[in-house]
Amino acid sequence: MSQPIADFKQSQPLTLGVELELQLVSGRDFDLTRGATDLLASMDYDGRFGEIKLEITESMIEISTLPRTLVDGIAADLVGLRQALVNQCARNHIAVCGGGTHPFHRWAERRICPGDRFDEIYHRYGYLAKQFTVFGQHIHVGCSSGDDAIWLTQALGPYVPVFIALSASSPFVDGEDTFFQSARLNAVSAFPLSGQCPELRDWEDFMEHFSFLQACGIARSIKDLYWDIRPKPEFGTVEIRVCDTPLTVERAAALAALAQALVRHLLRTRPVLDTPRHLHVARYNKFQACRYGYEAQLSDPIGRRQVPLRQVASELLAALAEDARALGCSGWLELLDASLASDLSDAKWLRRRQAIRRNLNDVVRETAMRFGKSGSMNLAEDPG
Amino acid sequence: MIDDIVSPARAAWEDLQERLFFLPPFPDAVDSLALFSLLLVIGLLVGEWLRARWGWPKVIGYVLAGTVFGPSVLGWISIEALAQTRPIADAALGLLMLEIGRQLDLRWLGQNRELLRAALAEISLSFTAIFLFAWGVVGLIPAWAAAAAAVTMASAPAVVLLIVEESSAQGQVTERIVIHTALSAAASFVVFAVVVGVVHAEYSNDWLNAVLHPLWVVVGALIIAWAMALLALLVASRLPKRSLAQVFILVATALLAVGTARMLAVPVFLTLFVMGAILSFSDQERTLSYTNLPEGHWLLAIILFVVVGASLPWQDFTWLIGLQAVGLLLVRAVAKVAAVAWAGDGLGVAGRRVLVGIGIQPLSATAVFMAYEIAGLYPEIGRSSLSLPLFAAAIMELAGPALCRFALVRAGESAPADNSKEGVA
Repeated sequence: MSQPIADFKQSQPLTLGVELELQLVSGRDFDLTRGATDLLASMDYDGRFGEIKLEITESMIEISTLPRTLVDGIAADLVGLRQALVNQCARNHIAVCGGGTHPFHRWAERRICPGDRFDEIYHRYGYLAKQFTVFGQHIHVGCSSGDDAIWLTQALGPYVPVFIALSASSPFVDGEDTFFQSARLNAVSAFPLSGQCPELRDWEDFMEHFSFLQACGIARSIKDLYWDIRPKPEFGTVEIRVCDTPLTVERAAALAALAQALVRHLLRTRPVLDTPRHLHVARYNKFQACRYGYEAQLSDPIGRRQVPLRQVASELLAALAEDARALGCSGWLELLDASLASDLSDAKWLRRRQAIRRNLNDVVRETAMRFGKSGSMNLAEDPG
Repeated sequence: MIDDIVSPARAAWEDLQERLFFLPPFPDAVDSLALFSLLLVIGLLVGEWLRARWGWPKVIGYVLAGTVFGPSVLGWISIEALAQTRPIADAALGLLMLEIGRQLDLRWLGQNRELLRAALAEISLSFTAIFLFAWGVVGLIPAWAAAAAAVTMASAPAVVLLIVEESSAQGQVTERIVIHTALSAAASFVVFAVVVGVVHAEYSNDWLNAVLHPLWVVVGALIIAWAMALLALLVASRLPKRSLAQVFILVATALLAVGTARMLAVPVFLTLFVMGAILSFSDQERTLSYTNLPEGHWLLAIILFVVVGASLPWQDFTWLIGLQAVGLLLVRAVAKVAAVAWAGDGLGVAGRRVLVGIGIQPLSATAVFMAYEIAGLYPEIGRSSLSLPLFAAAIMELAGPALCRFALVRAGESAPADNSKEGVA
């Protein structure tokens, strides 16, 4: 049944919220395990850092922070949520970890969580729903109006490859090295309404576009839009959905800092958008970032040339310095800069560990240990 | 009935032998390999049929096949043939016990005190309730009441593992059923060793045996298990993790442990369980943690349960002992469910704790083998004194797998039925 779009709830501009989809793995062999419903049913947690909730399959769990003004607040929430979850998992012989894909699970063995919505998704998308056992980070940034949210949805588009490369943590699928830095997004792109938001003038134009999709029977609710970046009217935010769940909550906080500083920068400078041209190269650039990470070559549709992603990311981080200072999140962006300079992404860390261990079970075990460790502020931890 | 068929055949064969000099003497016993495949085919057919027709766990079919074709009913599997298949049954039981030992993760208990409390409550309440029933209600002397409790207090590791595997069950209820089964098996083995000494003390004035026999059992099992676990880890550490070579090493060292235990008259189930537990606890580098038993262990499991079915002493059945066995099972069931439901163990919903209690009801191969080990000490009195736990095991051979499966299905942790995979044991 079609659902009307809620009114855009005005929120304080630049407030942040982060959602992380996490892997539940068996403490025995570190394969994905079924456990989300039981974990939540027996959990003694008062919600002080945000929510812990079910996702589509029983091997996934989602944590989401409270809305915060400062990245430090987001980081504190993520640490609190992580500890609550890690402790609860330990009591149930389960380990929890980050990463965009589980390196060797068999998707056919996944169980769909109980619930009408999940049931409906499973029946609508069939095996895609089980293959959707991939793990992403969603970053919400508060907007003062629906028009701003729609403008930002398009203005943030060209920066999607940077978010992908900085968060990439899914090099392995089905026990194989995919040669991708982020293979997770390949699972997302199978969905019919994945991809980029088309050119839209404002909130009204978006409503019209959505009504058109509803009338054509393509979308029933806004949740059917699996866009890389989309407005979230219930929260009053614009939501960036392309990041893999990083291996540490610290990197997740740093990515939130990037989003916040970038949105401030865009709102402050209000650059002229050329969405149609960017849409021509968007899929190519996304592929480059997923496949090559920091080594990607991005198409610049305005300058009609290729630019290394590393250069784009470095220049962006430099350009955001002033906004980051104003928002009090410079330290977090420096962490990303250091990771870029030392060439150590999460995907690279996973590959290095696999080269040493030669066993993906051990790699997942170490990934879980790394996720559970508190206080590591070094995103570019040497994998040995 | 077999003689009616065999006698004319033998006579005809011997007639032929006078003219055809290449013919060997008429084969008096079935070749071991032929017997092995015969048991396999019978077990498979009955198991698959029950599964397809009624959706019953296959284990029930294997046990029924053994019971029907065994010495108690049709007699097609003779007592001699049973003795012949004992090494295979020991190997099968050994591998399954190794597996349950490997699943005993004591670190988990350290992180979940409620679970430890529930396990201790389940173990102590089960033993106490069964002992009091056997002693106070049935009227066994304390030594045999303790033996009956030792034999029946634990869940059946082999059955639980096979049902979990057959149902592709995964989840918190499953995890708890497995850990409770492993812990109660460990406890029953300790009580078993003590009972061996108590029985000696009861029937013999020879205190040396009363003290040394339990020690022989425990220390012997520990030494064999430790040596084999060490050997397995030593060799496996030179091989790639999860490789086929590692699987072979795991199976080979386990079979070596089975053989050594048999040679030294140390219970196989105890030795292999301890070996599994040592592997689980001492494998810091996780050399063998991810290496699973080959699918082929199902073949051995079929033989094991056919043999167990054939070993059940249905010929001694009386209604009185049947009623007493049902009484014992009821007391045992209440003790297990009440202990797990009361003590918590970290599962939030009480209904799911009750399901754990139902899932640990099976009683099977280990109990039968343990009963025969104790009965074998003083065969003239042991067999009759242990008929109570043996009949309890006989009843639970059929009800136990169904209860375990019910718990897993009810908990929503078994995989949805996939008919395309039917036909694979």
